[in-house]
Amino acid sequence: MNEEYRPTRRRVVALWVLVALAGVAGLVGLGEALRHDHPAAGAQTPELTEEIDPLREDVPCELPAGREGAERPVVVAAPELPQMVTSNELYDCPSTWDGRRVRYVGEVVGAVLERRDGAWVQLNDDVYADGVGPLPTHRDFRGGNAGVGVRLTRDQAARIDNVGGATQRGDLLEVVAEFRRVDPETAEVAILHVETMRILRRGEPFEIPEAPGRAAVAMVAAAGALAIVVIERRRRER
Amino acid sequence: MLIRPDAGDFRLILLYTARVVYGVGLAMIVPTVVAMAFGERMDAWSFVLAASLAIGIGKLAEMGLRTRRPLNTSHALASVASSWLVVPLFGALPLVLSGHYVSYLDAYFEAMSGFATIGLTLANDLDHMSRSINLWRHLMQFIGGQGIVVIVLTAFSSGAARLGTLYSGEGREDVILPNIVRTARFIWRVALVYGVIGTGVLWAALIAAGLGVGEALYHGVNLFMAAFDTGGFSTQSSSVAFYRSQLVESVLLVIMTAGAFSFALHYQLWQGRRRELLANTETRTVFLSTLLLLAIASLGLARTETFTGFFEMYRHTLFQVVSAHTTTGLATVPGRLFVTDWGALAPASIVAAMAIGGMAGSTAGGIKGIRLGVVLKGLKADVRRVLLPENAVVMETYHAGVRKIVQGPQVRDAALLLLLWLGLYLVGALVGLFYGYPLELSLFESTAAASSGGLSIGIVRPDLETPLKLVYIAQMMVGRLEFIAVFALIGYAVSVVRGKV
Repeated sequence: MNEEYRPTRRRVVALWVLVALAGVAGLVGLGEALRHDHPAAGAQTPELTEEIDPLREDVPCELPAGREGAERPVVVAAPELPQMVTSNELYDCPSTWDGRRVRYVGEVVGAVLERRDGAWVQLNDDVYADGVGPLPTHRDFRGGNAGVGVRLTRDQAARIDNVGGATQRGDLLEVVAEFRRVDPETAEVAILHVETMRILRRGEPFEIPEAPGRAAVAMVAAAGALAIVVIERRRRER
Repeated sequence: MLIRPDAGDFRLILLYTARVVYGVGLAMIVPTVVAMAFGERMDAWSFVLAASLAIGIGKLAEMGLRTRRPLNTSHALASVASSWLVVPLFGALPLVLSGHYVSYLDAYFEAMSGFATIGLTLANDLDHMSRSINLWRHLMQFIGGQGIVVIVLTAFSSGAARLGTLYSGEGREDVILPNIVRTARFIWRVALVYGVIGTGVLWAALIAAGLGVGEALYHGVNLFMAAFDTGGFSTQSSSVAFYRSQLVESVLLVIMTAGAFSFALHYQLWQGRRRELLANTETRTVFLSTLLLLAIASLGLARTETFTGFFEMYRHTLFQVVSAHTTTGLATVPGRLFVTDWGALAPASIVAAMAIGGMAGSTAGGIKGIRLGVVLKGLKADVRRVLLPENAVVMETYHAGVRKIVQGPQVRDAALLLLLWLGLYLVGALVGLFYGYPLELSLFESTAAASSGGLSIGIVRPDLETPLKLVYIAQMMVGRLEFIAVFALIGYAVSVVRGKV
């Protein structure tokens, strides 16, 4: 505080707070208005070229305490059969599934990491892999990704043509594999060691939906910003 | 008595906030170029829009609010806090437009998590995210880790003598060089040198892991920013486990550790004073606590028989404990396994490691090694005082560049901050408990958010309850700024309401 102390009037501060809130609301509104123009029915997931046999037998698995009041999902297991599992089931009960043969379906994402003695891929079994399709082709938000690291032979890896990424759906694979809580060969945790693999659906590129108006608004904003920068510079030079 | 602030006070706070917004707008040019290079047209327009708004508003404020009035401590602290509130609003715009976030609040959470180098994410379908948006997530960590105010310090170096409090308000304690601008430039130099070497080594390791040359470079750049700035975002949803490579993990261990070193220590090493590494009290405290927590986690995992071999256990436990202690948050193990397969002791060690954090004046969060060290030394002195004759002079020293005597007020300040940190961890945990999550999960996630640890066991997800999202956002900001700047901003707000003329 100095000699020219001019106390702020509360009404003025309240006004500025309202202006700031209006600015935030404007930014949020802009974010909503300029989102992608999604198809009304959401993304179209292509048909599988081969069918999945939904073989399951119930063997309950004791889960650790979940969220209070929430129902505990029952994980199922069939020791003698390579039955269908999801990544969540494997992570929920790693010791139950350890060393068992399972069947698992997932989309190849990221990259195929080829090594001298085999290859690694990440297979995602979330809804974006085989359900609603990848974002941002729709607005059906279903959370983060879920998947498992899978170890293949180099020959098996060579059959993968498409890897999921920013504009690409990856191949959808069904693998029969042994789940290893800790793999003694590679020291990796919670992985599938593949025996057989088949490709249920080839991946394909997907189109990012248009966002009407985004380019025009961005250009106007850019022109405005440029003008402000020029004016500010001229005033400073004066 | 509270005095109502002057109009000029707000003018200054807004001016410096706007300058930081302008700086972040300039930073968005990088992902704009990347989006154009990869043909990500829609994202390129998002960045153009967000950058234009940030630059335009920044410059407009520069025109309207310019003042000759000097910046005092309270202005600087409040400016830092308001910058950290406002900047993620602009950082969030390209995120929400990417189509991977449910709402603007989720994108704001992500931006705050990025700038505050937390690493918790609310992204949906990360594995199909565009490269430019993913790069922006990592770049936010780099900018935030170095300190968004450092951008202002280097971009607006005139009047730098007044800017020292801006620097300390951002959770930095050591002004390494006499001139604050030179200190800021030194921080950039350290980051760039590590950046070139670290990215290069990571690039080679990722190629060896099986990535293509171009892909490896993209992953290497992002991984470096996540590791050195102890951020913890990753380009893939499976984090570092995606690479299935001990070589990559080894390189990341070194980079994370370097990121958790204070810039003052980097300066000492830069000057060739390698002995400082062993003599420094904070380095020793962090090293010893890492060893201790590693031993406890290993003991817990041995009891639960999670691992059958020593090497497997050592590899994953070391990475997770170091990732937690440096408050990075990269993972080689799916987070759910901490709950279902790691027993109780190992996750507890990870929580403790995140809570303690790295070194003061580094990019790491948490209580910080030096405070723990000083409190422990104070405790040791008290015990010695009780045991020795009454007229004995008891003195404890610590080493930070030079040997210093531990003073009573120092111990008190460190203990006070330690209490504040514990309180911050507890607040998030209590809100988590209120929403029905078990204590250990709530505490884990709350500590991860406040300390910038960033490891998650699954509570933080896009359908997280909105009040919890808000609490975690507040924890991230308060934790990153280490309380004082936030208190200053709150103080201004209270002064407006209750202050006398």
